[in-house]
Amino acid sequence: MSTVQMKTSNAEVVSLGSAQGNWFRRVGWRHVVGIVAVFFAAFPVVFVISAALNPLGTLSSSDLIPTNAGFDNFKKLFSTTPFWRWMLNSLIIAVLSSGLSMFVSASAAYGLSRFRFKGRRAGLLGLLLVQMFPQFLAITTLYLLFATITDLYPAVGFNTPWALILLALGGSMGSGTWLIKGFFDTIPKDLDESAKVDGATHAQIYFGIILPLVTPILAVTGLLGFIGAINEFIIAGIFLTEPNAKTVAVGLYGLVSAERNANFGLFAAGALVLAIPIVALFQYLQRFIVGGLTAGAVKG
Amino acid sequence: MASVTLDRINKLYENGFHAVQDLSIDIADGEFIVLVGPSGCGKSTALRMVAGLEDISTGTLKIGEKVVNTLSPKDRDIAMVFQSYALYPHMTVGDNIAYGLHIRKMDKSEIERRVKKAADMLELGALLDRKPKQLSGGQRQRVAMGRAIVREPQVFLMDEPLSNLDAKLRVQMRAEIGQVQQDLNVTTLYVTHDQVEAMTMGDRVVVLKAGILMQVGAPQFLYDNPANIFVAGFIGSPPMNMGLGTIGRSGDAYTLQLGSSLLTLAPELIAEKPAIKNYVGRELVVGLRSEDMEDARIRRNSTEVINAHVVLTEALGSEIVVHFESDIPKVENADTKLLAKDSGAAEIPSAGHTANKWVASFAPRSRVRPRDDIQVVVDTERLHFFDKDTSNSINK
Repeated sequence: MSTVQMKTSNAEVVSLGSAQGNWFRRVGWRHVVGIVAVFFAAFPVVFVISAALNPLGTLSSSDLIPTNAGFDNFKKLFSTTPFWRWMLNSLIIAVLSSGLSMFVSASAAYGLSRFRFKGRRAGLLGLLLVQMFPQFLAITTLYLLFATITDLYPAVGFNTPWALILLALGGSMGSGTWLIKGFFDTIPKDLDESAKVDGATHAQIYFGIILPLVTPILAVTGLLGFIGAINEFIIAGIFLTEPNAKTVAVGLYGLVSAERNANFGLFAAGALVLAIPIVALFQYLQRFIVGGLTAGAVKG
Repeated sequence: MASVTLDRINKLYENGFHAVQDLSIDIADGEFIVLVGPSGCGKSTALRMVAGLEDISTGTLKIGEKVVNTLSPKDRDIAMVFQSYALYPHMTVGDNIAYGLHIRKMDKSEIERRVKKAADMLELGALLDRKPKQLSGGQRQRVAMGRAIVREPQVFLMDEPLSNLDAKLRVQMRAEIGQVQQDLNVTTLYVTHDQVEAMTMGDRVVVLKAGILMQVGAPQFLYDNPANIFVAGFIGSPPMNMGLGTIGRSGDAYTLQLGSSLLTLAPELIAEKPAIKNYVGRELVVGLRSEDMEDARIRRNSTEVINAHVVLTEALGSEIVVHFESDIPKVENADTKLLAKDSGAAEIPSAGHTANKWVASFAPRSRVRPRDDIQVVVDTERLHFFDKDTSNSINK
């Protein structure tokens, strides 16, 4: 091998290698990160689907596609438990509490954003401070409170959806109000004043002019409230003890809480069914979660 | 259509800020009144009080014969155009214009008729189905006008409606608003910080400074007879030139020492403003408009001249604008500082240029060049005098 040849071959190797290195450094690593992320996101879903289809009701199956895979778990879930009743309870609580708390938060945020009054600052800080404490701290208090309420007004006490809806109204107000207030603050006050001069009442301004402009943030808070209410377990588990009053989260937990014969097949099947309304709502609200709705209001 | 009467209107904020002080203006039916002044002078606050968007602290506001102090904006029968236009972004142009009529539950056919009329007037016909974000600045401005027009209100209120437009569009819209106002003959209050708009649009101009009324009058009257140093410096472009001078007497004639130049005052001027006689031997503020000066080489036979050093010339074709420095002492008080701040002149660095800068407009025949030392003829009949201490015009 002559020196000249060696040089050429070396040069070729170097240039090829560096090109590959560049490709990986520039683009390739993104694929790796992406694949890892997809695996992370998809693994639990695949695992739950696999468990739901596994007729043995165990989580320790070694195959991704279990032997004798089928819909046995679903059939059993629907026939042996009041699952649809739980589902109805979950949806009633989630829809009402997210919808109502969205409205309450938006109204509070409008007041805090548009008007100046005594206690405004203290109120805003108070809402923020309350968020710092986990709900656990209040559980004993809430239990005692609602025990009394149940004695006096059983219609909104334990084992009714109303107890949880009332709680959600107060609970989600803090973060929701702050979120929406931030959005209201970006809407020029000129719009309110213009409508006022045009002859609109406060209600007409609020519902006709301002609310349509904040649909993105309303969709976000609504969605967060909905998911939060569907997932709510600790308080629901304490408040809802009768089989027909349970939500899906509480009901499903009951299926696997027994020390022996915990049937994770049924649990997984129920979890999958519960995911449907959340995914559907998300798909529906997605179109509203776009910014830039206020473009064109003022100079731009 | 109605007259508007402001009687000793005050706006006192809770933090003690006195935004508007004892403002009294009588606005005739169909009149176009312009409120003008530097930013923070209370002109927008005054307008917003008329609109009902701000409470009136004390004083009486009448629209027509009715006291409206406590009425809400919707009951005052007014329409307002905002600086930001404040169009409703989620509504089409047509809905924006018709909103005020819908709110008042007006008949559908009547709404349609009025919207169409306004759209024709403002050439918005083709745009009625568009959203505001699809419009240009000038079109948005017209929609905002349309929204005011369809209401057929007693009074139009406009809060700097042109300040978001570029210069060319502003001139065009200025004419358009003036035209619309004349066609509809609606009483109009128009707020601006641009004295050119004030001069060109208003039947009468109201000059405000720090919440206090300085002068009310027809634009040309304000230009010719400013009541004080502030109005003199604010109205007119370029603003009135000012310097310190001393009145003297030689025989029967009165003289004016202006820097190193000694001018003899025209007898007509003394006859017109006899109070000047009381200022003999005293320093006062002298004002002179740029068009009341001329190149001494053009007007050869005049003896009333001041010495000048040309800094800059701007040939505009019809005239030459000459910026020159002279040895006339500068006027420096609160008014001139406020004016400099408002015009942005305060921010222009002027290291080493402390001499008094004046602006004159010469006939285009003038061959003046920068850095020339020239003589400038002064039309002494057109001199303005102000008391140094009170800033008020000496015009009696």
